[in-house]
Amino acid sequence: MTSGLDTAGRFPAVTASFSSADRRYEPLEEILVRYTVELPPTAVVRSVERSILWYTEGKGEEDIGVHFFERITERAAVTEATAGSSFGARLPSSPLSYEGVIVKIRWCARVRLFFEEGRDFVSEHVFEVGHVPVATIVPS
Amino acid sequence: MRFPRFFAKKRGHRRTVSEVWGSVAEGLFHAGLVVAGLVFGGLLATGVAVPEWRINHRFVEAEAIVVGKGLARRTTARERTWEPAFRLRYETPAGPTEAWAFRGGPIATRARAVALLADVSLDATMPCWYDPDAPGTVVLARGYNWWMWLLTLLLPSALVGFGGAGLVRSIVGWRKSEERRAVTFRPIAAHPHPAIPSCDDLVNSPGTVLRFRLPTSGTEGWNLLGFGLFALLWNTVLTVLAVTAGLDLIGGRIDWLLLPILVPFAVVGITGIVMFVRQLVLTSAVGTTQLEISDHPLRPGGHYDVLLAQSGSGVFQNLTVTLELEEQATFRQGTDTRTERLVVWRSTVASWKDVQLAPGTRFEAKARLTLPATAMHSFVSEHNAVSWRVVVHGRAARWPAFSRGFPVVVHPVAPSPRHAEPQEMSL
Repeated sequence: MTSGLDTAGRFPAVTASFSSADRRYEPLEEILVRYTVELPPTAVVRSVERSILWYTEGKGEEDIGVHFFERITERAAVTEATAGSSFGARLPSSPLSYEGVIVKIRWCARVRLFFEEGRDFVSEHVFEVGHVPVATIVPS
Repeated sequence: MRFPRFFAKKRGHRRTVSEVWGSVAEGLFHAGLVVAGLVFGGLLATGVAVPEWRINHRFVEAEAIVVGKGLARRTTARERTWEPAFRLRYETPAGPTEAWAFRGGPIATRARAVALLADVSLDATMPCWYDPDAPGTVVLARGYNWWMWLLTLLLPSALVGFGGAGLVRSIVGWRKSEERRAVTFRPIAAHPHPAIPSCDDLVNSPGTVLRFRLPTSGTEGWNLLGFGLFALLWNTVLTVLAVTAGLDLIGGRIDWLLLPILVPFAVVGITGIVMFVRQLVLTSAVGTTQLEISDHPLRPGGHYDVLLAQSGSGVFQNLTVTLELEEQATFRQGTDTRTERLVVWRSTVASWKDVQLAPGTRFEAKARLTLPATAMHSFVSEHNAVSWRVVVHGRAARWPAFSRGFPVVVHPVAPSPRHAEPQEMSL
């Protein structure tokens, strides 16, 4: 379980848990993410986006591949989505999570809240796909 | 309404972002390109295209009498040109009109311009075209400068097209999240192997013994071409400079600026030729390397036969086949785009020592290649890649060591059936 709790209470706190306790999934496996949102008292959420995606980290420019995306704008649905909800998808066969030296591939679930004032807040929760070992530098 | 942030912040696993300024800057840049294209196009249109079009479509034809002639001289810092000019008298609705008109374009030598001028006698008649809005403006020829029209259309169109596409992208992506933009521009595709490069180009050549013959990554050929082009272009410039300096010397003049420049230019030119010849000899002397494989694409934990075929002559002190995993990251550094490559896994497949090759024959040997069960699959995205390749390293007697790479694609292993129903959440 991860949470985006802000001690000062100025930001929302998004707590997420995964259908796999160790957050490790196989390719083509179903993933389910359940989350709850604690909003600051004055915050009014206009819309919510929920996504499952991979992105690259490392020396290169960041690339992103969105596997699941859902945008909620209808007021009643937004209320429901911010009260605590879940979303999921069947993972693709690739890419697998990869901890390379200059290229890393991370899978994550994101919950993004858009506020009436125009600002947005995103909470990211990383999980693993596959079992590729960590790469190391090979002496030339 | 709060002022947007200049920078995004990452706090632990969550991010507070405002990409407003980034989108604004990107939009302004592309809008600037569109404006520049429109202004440039407008200037070219009004300065070249419209006047030329008016001459061909609006100017009125008349019969002119030559009442005077002369040479128009134009002097610039570098050259002096002459152009035959004629004083014409022609009839317009406003009455008889006299004006100067030019013919033949700028000519580098005065004698030739005079000869052209002599071809037309005073009182001769010739057709002319005058501007009905300004009868004093007259020309002796009509037609189009196609290069100028191409320039008028091509450059501004490219600027407007590139800027317009970027502007549309900025507008479509305005205030959209990174994920939503990604879905907008790259819709979620039901590809069987997302982010894995296609291996179509690697399986279209059958092998002589095994199933597929792998193509090389081909850097040797590009190196040879690169060295050749550099040597050619550099030495062409060097020849032009040397001929200019030689002509000056023959004419009794010494260009003290040009002569010292020629020496380092000649050194670079000769080095370029030497490098090209060395690469040419190296490429041709070592002989070709062919690699065949029993199956493709590869899978983690899989075993594959490979056949190495090395041609050439003489003794190869060693020949080694390795399997390598390489990471590639492309990033921007200032205004440059750089790609860094790093081998993160290497395994020797087979190795041979003191291989004797006779001319016309080739060394052939089979080996067994095994991919680790937990191997990463091939991966490619816009700026990052994880690539597998079989590499043949060799050292022929009297020649420097060489390496030739043969890319292969590795697909992920078929997943084990751990696909139970999602477990209960543990909040």
